[in-house]
Amino acid sequence: MESAPATVVEEVIGAEDRKVADLALVQLAQQGDIKAYDELVHRYQERIYATVYHMTSNHEDANDLVQETFIKAYRALKTFKGDSSFYTWVYRIAVNKTINFLKQRKNRLQMSLDDVDFNAENDPDLVALASEKTPRRALNLAELQDKLNEAMLKLSEHHRLVVTLHDIQDLSHEEIAAIMDCNVGTVRSRLFYARRQLQAFLSDYLK
Amino acid sequence: MTNMNPEPDDFNDLRKLMALKRHEQPSPQYLDQLSTRIIARIERGEGRLSMLDWLSANFASRPSLTYACGLTLCGALGLTAVFLARQGMKQAANSGNDVALDAPNLSRSYANQFVPVTPPIHIANWLGNTNPGTESQAAISLFGVRPAAISVSYQP
Repeated sequence: MESAPATVVEEVIGAEDRKVADLALVQLAQQGDIKAYDELVHRYQERIYATVYHMTSNHEDANDLVQETFIKAYRALKTFKGDSSFYTWVYRIAVNKTINFLKQRKNRLQMSLDDVDFNAENDPDLVALASEKTPRRALNLAELQDKLNEAMLKLSEHHRLVVTLHDIQDLSHEEIAAIMDCNVGTVRSRLFYARRQLQAFLSDYLK
Repeated sequence: MTNMNPEPDDFNDLRKLMALKRHEQPSPQYLDQLSTRIIARIERGEGRLSMLDWLSANFASRPSLTYACGLTLCGALGLTAVFLARQGMKQAANSGNDVALDAPNLSRSYANQFVPVTPPIHIANWLGNTNPGTESQAAISLFGVRPAAISVSYQP
């Protein structure tokens, strides 16, 4: 069943409700209710997956890392005191796991870009990009995303994470600071340098 | 100096380009089966906390517990060290008493073994030995010939 589009106020109220509901689910899961934990996994798997995928550029790795993240979170659930939201907490576990994984992987660069969502062709930004007389015009969508991923992988893990969370996943500076356990100023400066580097790497496609 | 707060427009094109990555979706089977796989792995026992995991998780979340455990461990080590030191001292004292109690026998048994060694007379002389014990023998000639005693009269 599809719900009607929510207004901003409804979204804010919804976010608060969701936080309260998360806490109730966490408490049930802490008592051993596996169904409650399953519900928590369902709620956040997509967002966590997207972050991990954009960090690794590999669906298999993302799949493994997300599983590991939720299993580790379940193990550590009894130590979760609710100081931050469950969402931030589990995100932090995912981010740490992914950064550790990337440090180990370093030289193994695989990209699985075959399964690009065909809805992208309806994206107005993409249509605009394709209609311009720039080197981008010669590129098809898969190639363009290949170049984007290549540029992303040239960034350090922390810079890539900030761009992923902010520019791709639309998280606020404050949320990112909570996830990365640093202050907002650090997030802003990392975002600035990451964008500067990306601009240099992708200069051919930004003219 | 680098401007750390650029105008929002500076990166607009880049942001539009990066937003294309939102369309990179995993194949449907990935997300459909993800939670099922996670729950299955948890139910298989992977969700159980090992002793080491439990300790590290608790130490990370409760610094006071870390300090308490560290303090207890240090205390236990200190007490063990003190106990061992005392044991050692007791043993040393006991073995010392035994030696003292047995001293007369010990002196008798060792008496014959510890004979003062006098170096051969020729060596003693050659070394310029000052030991009065060996001095009396210094008169003995190496060739077995005693010098004849000369009687001297002090009478005028």
